[in-house]
Amino acid sequence: MGAYVLRRLGYGVGVVLGVLFLLFLLFFTITAPEDIARKALGDKAPPEAIQTWLENHEYDRPLWPWQDWDENLLFDHYRKMLTFDFGVSDADDSPIIDRIKAGMGPSLSLTVPLLVLGLLISIPLSLLVAFFRETYIDRMGVFLCVLAMSVSTLLYIIGAQFLIGKVLRWYPISGFDASLAMLPRFLALPVLVGLISGVGGDVRFYRTVFLEESNRDFVRTARAKGAGEARIMVFHVLRNAMIPILTRVVLAIPFLFMGALLLEAFFGIPGLGSMTVDAIQSNDFSTMRTMVYIGSLLFVFGQVATDISYGLVDPRVSVE
Amino acid sequence: MSWLEPHILSNLVTLGLLVGLVFAARVVRAQRLWREAAVELWHRRRFAILVVGVYLLIGLADSISWTGGVPEDAVGVLPNAPLSILDRAFLDSREASYSAPFADVEFYGGDALRHPGGHPLGTDILGRDVFYLSLKGARVALLIGGLTSLIAIPLALLFGVCAGYFGGRFDDFVFFLISTMASMPSLLLLIALIMVMGRSTFSVCIALAVTGWVGFCRLTRAETLKLRELDYIQAARALGVSEAKIIFRHILPNLAHLIVITFVLMFSGLVLSEAVLSWLGIGVDGSWGQMIDGARDELSRQPVVWWNIAAAGSALFGLILAVNSVGDAVRDVLDPRTARES
Amino acid sequence: MKYEQMSGGHRAVNAGCAKTTLRRAQGGVLSAIRGPSDVASRLLGLGLAIVFSLSACSNDPYPPEDGEAKVLYSSFDAAPRTLDPATAYTTKAHSVTGVVYDTLLKYHFLKRPLELIPGLAVDLPLVTPLEGGRTRYRFTLREDLLFADDDCFELSGEGRRTREIVSADIAFQLMRLADPLIGSPVAETFANIDGFVEFAATLEAHREEDPAFADQAAHEQYAAAGGVRGIEMPSRYVLDITLHRAYPQIKYWFAMEFTTPVPWEAIAYYTGQDGRPRFDDHPVGAGPFVLSEYDKQSRYVLSKNPNWYGVRHPEWKAPAAIFPTEGDEEDRRSGRMAYAGRSLPLIDRVVVVREKESIPRFNKFLQGYYDASGVIKESFDSVIQGDGLSVEMEGLGMRLGKAVSPDVYYIGFNMNDEVVGRFGGESSRKIRQAMSLAVDSEEFLRIFQNGRGVPAQSPLPPGIYGYESGYENTFRQPNIERAKELMTEAGYQNGIDPTTGEALTLTFDTSSTSTAGLNQVRFYTNAWRQLGIDVQIDGTTYNQFQEKLRQGDYQIFQFGWVADYPDPENFLFLLWSKMGKSDFGGPNATNFSDARFDELFVSMKARDNGPQRIAEIEEMLSILERERPWIELFHREDYSLYQGWVKNVKPMGLSIPTYQYRDIDPTSRSEKRKAWNEPVQWPAYVLLLAGVMVIVPGVLTYFKERQ
Repeated sequence: MGAYVLRRLGYGVGVVLGVLFLLFLLFFTITAPEDIARKALGDKAPPEAIQTWLENHEYDRPLWPWQDWDENLLFDHYRKMLTFDFGVSDADDSPIIDRIKAGMGPSLSLTVPLLVLGLLISIPLSLLVAFFRETYIDRMGVFLCVLAMSVSTLLYIIGAQFLIGKVLRWYPISGFDASLAMLPRFLALPVLVGLISGVGGDVRFYRTVFLEESNRDFVRTARAKGAGEARIMVFHVLRNAMIPILTRVVLAIPFLFMGALLLEAFFGIPGLGSMTVDAIQSNDFSTMRTMVYIGSLLFVFGQVATDISYGLVDPRVSVE
Repeated sequence: MSWLEPHILSNLVTLGLLVGLVFAARVVRAQRLWREAAVELWHRRRFAILVVGVYLLIGLADSISWTGGVPEDAVGVLPNAPLSILDRAFLDSREASYSAPFADVEFYGGDALRHPGGHPLGTDILGRDVFYLSLKGARVALLIGGLTSLIAIPLALLFGVCAGYFGGRFDDFVFFLISTMASMPSLLLLIALIMVMGRSTFSVCIALAVTGWVGFCRLTRAETLKLRELDYIQAARALGVSEAKIIFRHILPNLAHLIVITFVLMFSGLVLSEAVLSWLGIGVDGSWGQMIDGARDELSRQPVVWWNIAAAGSALFGLILAVNSVGDAVRDVLDPRTARES
Repeated sequence: MKYEQMSGGHRAVNAGCAKTTLRRAQGGVLSAIRGPSDVASRLLGLGLAIVFSLSACSNDPYPPEDGEAKVLYSSFDAAPRTLDPATAYTTKAHSVTGVVYDTLLKYHFLKRPLELIPGLAVDLPLVTPLEGGRTRYRFTLREDLLFADDDCFELSGEGRRTREIVSADIAFQLMRLADPLIGSPVAETFANIDGFVEFAATLEAHREEDPAFADQAAHEQYAAAGGVRGIEMPSRYVLDITLHRAYPQIKYWFAMEFTTPVPWEAIAYYTGQDGRPRFDDHPVGAGPFVLSEYDKQSRYVLSKNPNWYGVRHPEWKAPAAIFPTEGDEEDRRSGRMAYAGRSLPLIDRVVVVREKESIPRFNKFLQGYYDASGVIKESFDSVIQGDGLSVEMEGLGMRLGKAVSPDVYYIGFNMNDEVVGRFGGESSRKIRQAMSLAVDSEEFLRIFQNGRGVPAQSPLPPGIYGYESGYENTFRQPNIERAKELMTEAGYQNGIDPTTGEALTLTFDTSSTSTAGLNQVRFYTNAWRQLGIDVQIDGTTYNQFQEKLRQGDYQIFQFGWVADYPDPENFLFLLWSKMGKSDFGGPNATNFSDARFDELFVSMKARDNGPQRIAEIEEMLSILERERPWIELFHREDYSLYQGWVKNVKPMGLSIPTYQYRDIDPTSRSEKRKAWNEPVQWPAYVLLLAGVMVIVPGVLTYFKERQ
């Protein structure tokens, strides 16, 4: 077991290094350091200003090690990321760590309620639907889920803003205010849209898992022994279904920090997701790589943890 | 005139697909299990299947094109351009700018239309008939969903089955690959790939496939891991049956239902994510996603221009709902674990 | 029986156990529901919860205290990269620096074309020609001007943290423009000052020789480097600028934030270390407002600056500190002249909220949560019908302000290209002329801008010297027949290329790949298709587009140019061969190069306004008309939509914010907002009903199962 854990951790490290390399490659295939400078300084900047900017930000060196072993951007990239030296944003020279601290709050205030409420709503709903399978409830439930899943998130957002914000005027269309009194008002719409667009898929997924589990031999044995159906659902089915459910939840946790991209963009929530999209669109390499790096660290950690627990819990998966 | 004109290529591919479809139908008819599943599916979801069929026909009508035969006075068409069946049906339907469904005059300004009352879904900002544009979007959606899945699924199968079956170093490598790709924000990957390959349908499909194969790969890997431990497979290995034979005769057929289910489910997810790509400016020209993105501005006009987004949104919804519906039924019918035992 | 359905066909043997199993079932997932009465009470509770949350709901994004003060609400889509007046060069930045910093000269708020008036200076500069082709501009600063209160200053006697502004502060900022470490984008312009470039070189040399030198505070470094020869301060309040080359347009630059007085204390204090913000994020100026709150990701607030001379010395009646007393007919009609002579600023605060997407921004404006719609130069969705507001909008009390922006948008041909450029000779010129005749600007404006805008006949927009409203460019009056004739004359009858037998294929390079952007490009390609030309659209990222420009790998493109200052030189220099993109990296992206044009340009550049200048400009325009490096599209017309309770909106263009001239009526605003934003409650009950109707059959099913 110990060797397995070590091996998985080793891969984790490899993955992070691989991600960093891929990121560097992708970014610099479509952008040159001068482009970063130009986006930062604006169209009207003269070539001397661009050169000065490149020198000040240490971008005035070649990209690859074989061009200059001592000073090249790839090694700088690795060195900075592995020592957690995030530096400043290329777009406006503000320290990235401050931006992250500022953006984390809004992102979490959106994604955590989404996750929690999502679970609280979809698991009981799917248990209910699985419990009443093949009856009106099940059919209606599945139909509603498919209906909900078939609408593009973009349409949900535009529709919700139009309908609830403009026509019905229940909640503000967009914006964000961190004060406790105003926060619920601004989160109501994005959380609602996030829930509606996500619940359909979640319920269907959990329903499948529950149905699958409830047809297992040991469950049928329990039924034959006379256990109540509801009890079976909770104590046997739910518990065994916890593995895929937990896997899904744990894998989703790193992305809580990254924020729900579309929701943040359309609802004006100043979180980490919209910060990443802004960075991509404004050639802000240093911010973008920091976000991707942190995201991949969290993700790898989550995946390694899941894999280990999977190996522990499910006896069918043999661990060599 | 070279023989590799894009429209000739498209004609050939369409022909190939039709032949492939006929071939697949014959295979299904031959095997009892599949035939019964197909009949069951038809019983459950007649309507949804018909709807998908209609979309396929529309897509077909837009995939067969040839040059020539353009009347002299056709507006806005180059005489030598290749036109599809759909294009020719709507050949001279252009106005100057917006008009409401079935209207006689322009929406802004009130000038007379060239075809009063002739646009059931109105016209867009450049005067193109919205009904025509919605129909054209069908082909794009089918391409995005279908072609991307056709690239992603074999890719995922290759890596997933081999990783699950052979284990060891290869498994480590695949795990590494999956994890790396999964922790990259797909947005960055998509933007980079599309920009490098140029903005065309094909490059969008490839980019989506590259960012989308990971999920299915994980699934096949996990399933293969489980399958490998099954008694009869272990027996076959012990008996010395060749690995390739085991994979093709035992493992893959057990994954077949997963493949079909995944294909149908991936399809709708891909088409929906194309809408987001259009919002970012890297989508496919002529897709419903592009129409929806363009229509966002229109909702803030006074009075509201609603027919563009309504048409594209409904067309998108219709296809996705039908496909999801069929997909659900496919899963119910094919998945041995949720199927009702009779 | 329930068991039959639940367990997939496995019949329960013991029907008699039904009762006991049901009791056991109550320990399971449905344990929370104990009976029909429980179900009902649960539903009721849910309904009450919905209603309760609805009653506390409102779509007002502002906290209640803001309701009655004189506060202006606006929005921005992204924070400016920097607010340092030496480097800030975007409209976003200027919307803050333009009111937080003040300058020697300003523009008259109402007069059009724009006219310079004294700001911090007592009067317009005294211009004295010196020997050797040099010119001296003498500015006299007002006395008793103070910077805004700020922590970077020492505590002075009256308990404030500020100090008087002197001409050395302006000199300091001008030296900052020369500093290579700051990399100001306008250093080139100020190189016209005598000794400017030498100063930069000396500074750099000192820094390289002696690392300790670079550690000193900026103002000490500049002093040690000996300052700039052409910048002198004969006395505490007098500033002499000497140019070694004639450049009459320099005076416009003294109305831009690049020449604002900057305190050396702020540069030394706001280094970004020790928990202090950087100077880029913390302006210290002398303008009518201060940046009292600045959260780049969500909002910023401009508050009235009590140290501004207009607030401290209203008795001076300084031209830039009072509402103008002269206006035109339109000003009188709109009621602005009622404010004549009043002290500025008229409002207390400006709250600017981050709004990234255009639909939410506009919808909030319609709900009364923004006082004006959009930022002047950025795009915003049109809402106007025909020539004015729709009846509905007028009913809401909205007002419309129109102003033609000093800019020009055009389609350009790469004159270095073999097919469409100068190397194709007569034939290519005819193609360009034909393509120019095919594009209908008015139709374009009608479709894409609701008719807002002035179809452009030449690079010069209205309001710029040299613009003639009656001038008609022969090739900008759409005429398809004549265009087809020209194509035939060029050797491409019906657009067919004689060498290939197929349609002439050209490429339009663009970086706007959004649906809206592509539709605009399709408009042009549709127009050219009428001539039989097949123009393919090549959409790429912004970076790739810039790369193509640098490599010279492009054929047709579109661009816009917004004036920095109101002089024709600022437009015609875009066609000067010395500004060529491919050869010199300048903004002349068409690489247009005509000897006679260049000659006229150099002469016109330094000449004062007068009949000779007009003659030179006219000849230049006729050259452009014939050669067609540009297809001039339009000059934007900015419509500012503002609420009925906002007064005195008159856009000035040139990225100049005018918050100090605005006034609002807060009572009217809060009334209207309330009236426009009553939450609509009935759908909540409908939803509840719908929910009940879906759940009831489910509940009935449950009871049926129990039997």
